[in-house]
Amino acid sequence: MDGVHRLLDRVDVRQNVVYVGFLVIFLFFSVTLWDTGFLSSRNLINIVLQTAPATVMAVGLVFVLSAGEIDLSFGSIVAVAALVGAVVMQEASALVGIAAALAAGCVIGAINGAFVAFLRLPSFLVTLATMGLFAGVARTLTDLRSIPITNEAFAGFFGSGSLFGIPSLVLWTVAVVALGHLVYRHTTFGAHVVATGDNAAAARACRVKVTRIRLSVLVLSGACAALAGLLYAGRIQGARYTLGEADLMIVIAAVIVGGTKLNGGKGSIIGALFGSLLMGMLNNGLILMGLSVSQQLIVRGLIILAAVAISLREPAR
Amino acid sequence: MTIRLTTAIATGLVLFSGSAAAETVGPGGEEATPSATITVSDSDAETLRERGATAALLWHTSADFVNAVTDGATDEFERLGIEVVATTDAGFDAARQRSDIETALTLEPDIIIALPLDPVTSAEAFSEAAEAGVSLVFLSNLPSGYVHGEDYAAIVTDDLFQMGKQAADALAAAMGEEGQVAWIYHDADYYVTNQRDNAFMTTIINDYPNIEVVAEEGLADPARAEEIANALLLRYPDLDGIYVTWAQPAEGVIAALRANGNDHTRVVTLDLSEPVALDMVQGGNVAAIVADEAYELGRAMAAVGANDLLGNAMPPFIVAPAITVTADNVAEGWTISLHRDAPESVLNAAQ
Repeated sequence: MDGVHRLLDRVDVRQNVVYVGFLVIFLFFSVTLWDTGFLSSRNLINIVLQTAPATVMAVGLVFVLSAGEIDLSFGSIVAVAALVGAVVMQEASALVGIAAALAAGCVIGAINGAFVAFLRLPSFLVTLATMGLFAGVARTLTDLRSIPITNEAFAGFFGSGSLFGIPSLVLWTVAVVALGHLVYRHTTFGAHVVATGDNAAAARACRVKVTRIRLSVLVLSGACAALAGLLYAGRIQGARYTLGEADLMIVIAAVIVGGTKLNGGKGSIIGALFGSLLMGMLNNGLILMGLSVSQQLIVRGLIILAAVAISLREPAR
Repeated sequence: MTIRLTTAIATGLVLFSGSAAAETVGPGGEEATPSATITVSDSDAETLRERGATAALLWHTSADFVNAVTDGATDEFERLGIEVVATTDAGFDAARQRSDIETALTLEPDIIIALPLDPVTSAEAFSEAAEAGVSLVFLSNLPSGYVHGEDYAAIVTDDLFQMGKQAADALAAAMGEEGQVAWIYHDADYYVTNQRDNAFMTTIINDYPNIEVVAEEGLADPARAEEIANALLLRYPDLDGIYVTWAQPAEGVIAALRANGNDHTRVVTLDLSEPVALDMVQGGNVAAIVADEAYELGRAMAAVGANDLLGNAMPPFIVAPAITVTADNVAEGWTISLHRDAPESVLNAAQ
């Protein structure tokens, strides 16, 4: 018991709540659902597959929040990018479709960035507006029609395929998280993002190009959302205007619970990954427990509330 | 809007012969089989109880209608000794529906009943379940390319066209078969409401030459219904009737009418709702509510799944009837549609 106390004293639970929470909830489900297939490799892989698009969006959002901004439009970008890609692929190759989708995400991110970085408008309001604007664009693009994707190479690369037995969505998750973490923690750009969010004036005084940083993180968020759109499109082999609609609060919750500050500065890509996996595991486990939909919502909300309360509560002064 | 009207007319021409009674047919032209004919024999019920099968209910949303379908399905499953192991709500999100199916398959259900969100994206979503040999029973919608008997057991649906037609007939009757109406339709790619909305329009155009549709307003967010209605009433203060795509936005339309002191415009909508029914029985603007037999839908879906599990061939397209609920039959209508008593406020006001 003394050893446990010493360990708890050394581990800052508040800073690491996502990892502690992930472990606790994983253990809870492992014990209560031991006979339901929760621990089967198929189910555990499913959790990663199901959370892959949200994880990719979360990586982009970590950069945005760390820079002291926010992006509420990424859900709408998911839909626009997926539809652009699907429509283009009907007439051109998958490569062209992918490029078009990513370009769409970057362009929308650049629009957000231009208003925020150059006109110095609040990112909350700008992206709230573009969230609605591009949700409308997504609805208009194909007049609400879903667009099927029949290109097998695309579906394999972005959805149902695998490489050396590892599902492509798992590989995408690993690649985006690894690259995001590397850039965030080990590059000048990443350091400048955190510095901008921590104290923009001080960052500027240290010759950080704050305007360029603000623009860049919003373009990056747009690109990540576009990639998430491609992953969704590959997974369901089609594009629909509702894709990404339900992801806004889940991704924000994953990032915040993962340890990224809402008001800029320090963040965590790995924390965002675990936050995303935590959300996915909660959805998965509560369904396997046989709870009604209402019960699932209540329990999930309570758990997230507890996690946020622990991670964001200011220490007593 | 032009596309929607053209679709409505095209749909009507396919399904109508002049102004004769409409026939609802399946997505591939299949003949409709009444849901009341779908039952599980006593011997089959005994076999199932001994077998101890499982089922998953994978819904597209949460709503009173879904609750009633769930009640019908779970009561039938309980009777047959089939355990419901998972219930989900995809929140109208196609990707979420895919995830729900994957998660539910972990529990290896023998039967899945679900409403596929749209034919294109649901084809991939349900493919794993179809390949695993799960008995799939679909509510109202069908994934693209699915073959009856191979990929799915049956589609069970409310009589969507008849619901729209009955709404048109009820509104026309309330208006004396003449005047101006506004059509508030669901501006989303959602098969159920699209079919009902278009059926209303087709019936008005075909059967009521003295009724003019002066306004068509698409509605995506039910919370905006009151704004839309206010704008309509500003442009057409003498509007004789309003069709509203379903009950939740109809509440907003009624609020707008009350705020404008309008007791002339008649309203018809679909799916039961306490506030809307209360207005109706108190002699307000609502003339009628058209409802499906949601409990019966659930019962029939469960019966189809159970039969399919035993290898009994099922008809491809099964239809539950619709009922027009007015102030005169509101208590009965609630019981038939949702298999429970009408809210006390409605019953008290109806006395």
